[in-house]
Amino acid sequence: MSLKSLDPRVTRLNLPEGEVPAMEPKPELDQFETYEAFHQKKEGTAYTYVGPVHAPNEDVAFLFAKEQYSRRFACTGLWIARTENIQVTPYGNDNENVYDTIQFDEPTQRSEQPEPYEIFHLKKRGKAHTHAGRVMATSYPEALAEAKSAFGEKGPIVNVWVVKSKDVLQSAEEDKDMWTTIPEKKYREAIAYKVMDKITKYKEENKPTTAQ
Amino acid sequence: MYGGGNVFEATKFDDVQVEDPAKLEEFEARIARGEKIEPTDWMPELYRKQLIRMIEQHAHSEIIGALPEGTWITRAPGFRRKMAQMAKVQDEVGHAQLLYSAAETLGKSREQMLTDLISGKSKYSNVFNYPAFTWADSNIISWLIDAGAIVNQMANAKGSYGPYSRALERICAEEAFHLKYGHDAVVHMATGSPKQREMIQAALNRWWPPIMTFFGPSDKMSTHTETLMRWKVKMASNDECRQQFLDMYVPKIWELGLTVPDPKLKKNMETGQWEFTEPDWDEFKRVINGDGPCNAERLAVRRTAEERGAWVRRALLNPKAKYVRPLA
Amino acid sequence: MNELAIKDLLYKLADDQLILGHRNSEWTGFGPILEEDIAFSSMAQDKIGHSLAFYTLLQELGEADPDTVAFTRNANQFHNSQLVELPNGEYDFSLIRHFLYDNAEIIRFEMLSQSSYEPIAKVATKLKGEVKYHVLHANTWIKNLGSSTEEAILRLQSSLNEALPYALAMFENSKYEQELIDAGVYAGEEAVKTEWLKRIQAVIDKTDLKLPDLATIEPKFGGRYGEHTEHLQPLLDEMAEVFKIDPTAEW
Repeated sequence: MSLKSLDPRVTRLNLPEGEVPAMEPKPELDQFETYEAFHQKKEGTAYTYVGPVHAPNEDVAFLFAKEQYSRRFACTGLWIARTENIQVTPYGNDNENVYDTIQFDEPTQRSEQPEPYEIFHLKKRGKAHTHAGRVMATSYPEALAEAKSAFGEKGPIVNVWVVKSKDVLQSAEEDKDMWTTIPEKKYREAIAYKVMDKITKYKEENKPTTAQ
Repeated sequence: MYGGGNVFEATKFDDVQVEDPAKLEEFEARIARGEKIEPTDWMPELYRKQLIRMIEQHAHSEIIGALPEGTWITRAPGFRRKMAQMAKVQDEVGHAQLLYSAAETLGKSREQMLTDLISGKSKYSNVFNYPAFTWADSNIISWLIDAGAIVNQMANAKGSYGPYSRALERICAEEAFHLKYGHDAVVHMATGSPKQREMIQAALNRWWPPIMTFFGPSDKMSTHTETLMRWKVKMASNDECRQQFLDMYVPKIWELGLTVPDPKLKKNMETGQWEFTEPDWDEFKRVINGDGPCNAERLAVRRTAEERGAWVRRALLNPKAKYVRPLA
Repeated sequence: MNELAIKDLLYKLADDQLILGHRNSEWTGFGPILEEDIAFSSMAQDKIGHSLAFYTLLQELGEADPDTVAFTRNANQFHNSQLVELPNGEYDFSLIRHFLYDNAEIIRFEMLSQSSYEPIAKVATKLKGEVKYHVLHANTWIKNLGSSTEEAILRLQSSLNEALPYALAMFENSKYEQELIDAGVYAGEEAVKTEWLKRIQAVIDKTDLKLPDLATIEPKFGGRYGEHTEHLQPLLDEMAEVFKIDPTAEW
């Protein structure tokens, strides 16, 4: 016997009815490792952190992040970086500039040639990291020091993320058409649902009759 | 969609006594200043455990909450409703993804959370153990359950944990569509043909009792609750949320000429509080502990999805992969 | 321009997408990983949205409104290929179908965006980007799973073998094939099929899957003119279940 559900989709799953043995606990990494996603809302604006996805590799992470983070709001580009490849500074207090509190250690590993790094700043706790810019460096600590002189001077910065540019998968110019119709999908916008007229009409027609 | 009302077993309050007083003071001062806590900050164990439990239950409520309305995905009438119903249920799965991620930043893996959901160890919002008999039931869920969830989520978005607030901000933005969509569908039914009106009234009658339990029983005020409120983990009492919900939505139900199946329901003009028949908390407890009309099916579906998808995940598992908690 | 020929083309485009959109939507809540669940649902919404766009063009040519056309016809009035009406099966079958279907769909959209029939060209140009994502999604998954474990490769290979007779019938010729080609509406089914073979072969070559000898496969024709499997009518009944409670009501 299989389970008959009110949901025809569930009925078609042919679920066994009755007791089943307990499920084995999920093994580690059953849901894959994590990648962090950044989106660009509008041409020319800074990429902003939107959240993580679980994925087996960066190509699949891109497919996932595109739908999870860019289906509901305008988007012109998407960046993906493996969580493991992002180096994070300690968090400062709001109104503090974390660059002022960091000890710039000598790097343990240094590449021969300077290479580009992407720098992300968090301006206030609870908000999202945004892209501050790109620096050339031979190590993560050097990239952080470069970032301090390039963009670290003004205003509070409570946290910094540093990632090598080569570790960031960036959507290409020709991918932009994947997002062009997003703003037209009105059926998932609150603004598409206007029922005041119907309610008013209903109330008009069903006024309690007043005593003569 | 989550009411936050079913946090029963609390972490032992004694735990706080063993925390480092200097760190605790700094932590509490940060919250008092209105700053958010971020994942790598020091935090009391009680704070971490309570948040994991709360966010995890919220995530489970989204993924299981996708099922009652999912019942009507293939049958939604007409293009407009079909596309919206699909998008709405999809959003709930999306919310689960966001919330599991927020809980992960506190140190519990998604694997462990899903295991605990399927084994029944970890709970989800009790209302989803009730069936959506007709299309009208699905409309009532879209409107009123989401409305209740928004009351709760708007409050929690102001809480102190950064990743949870960020997730909730996005979730609330998306739920604005759910609420309007649900209301729109209910209004169409209530002002439509006699058959439609009959369907929507019947669905409201079925869903009212579960809706009244959505925010959970009255909070027992204890030092524990006070601590969680001071730490901005619990942002509003269950009764406050329920009253706010009734204030906002009962008039909207009545203006459609629908009746709420509770003869005692009325607003006391002197106290400003709604009076109602006390919900059946015994049934609530029985259902939450597994004995509801749909508990078994909900978990069986979730389990089947996990089991039948296992080969996909096994196939793509990179042996060199290393799990790192999401950053924020 | 022969209006019957255009309508014939529009019906097959719209019906394919309506039915596949419904099948894809069945995955919502049941996907192999949360993120994939979300992606499949988006594609389902896109497909149904595309069918609506084509039914709207039909309405402009004098056919009934999209809701009536989509939700009140019987199986023998549907022009979809049988491929899209088959039950979802497990994820391997749904994925293979998605791969075979969308690689053909993108070619149609590319051709139709250049169509001499302007209303179609406009719709195809606008929606092409969405189909592009569908193809990227399908190809990425096939490349990943198709060169992974023995279990995954076996599943995909068997689904591929099962789906191919139906997939080849997507290219069943229209009654108006030559007219559509001559009028520059699009290059016709043979041309779509040739390009499709090239593209799916290129992806399959990057995996451990094998494309069977197509000459030995008998395509399951008939779908374009109302011949369907036993799976379509129950799906249509389900789609219309609520709508039919009161077809004149506003839902």
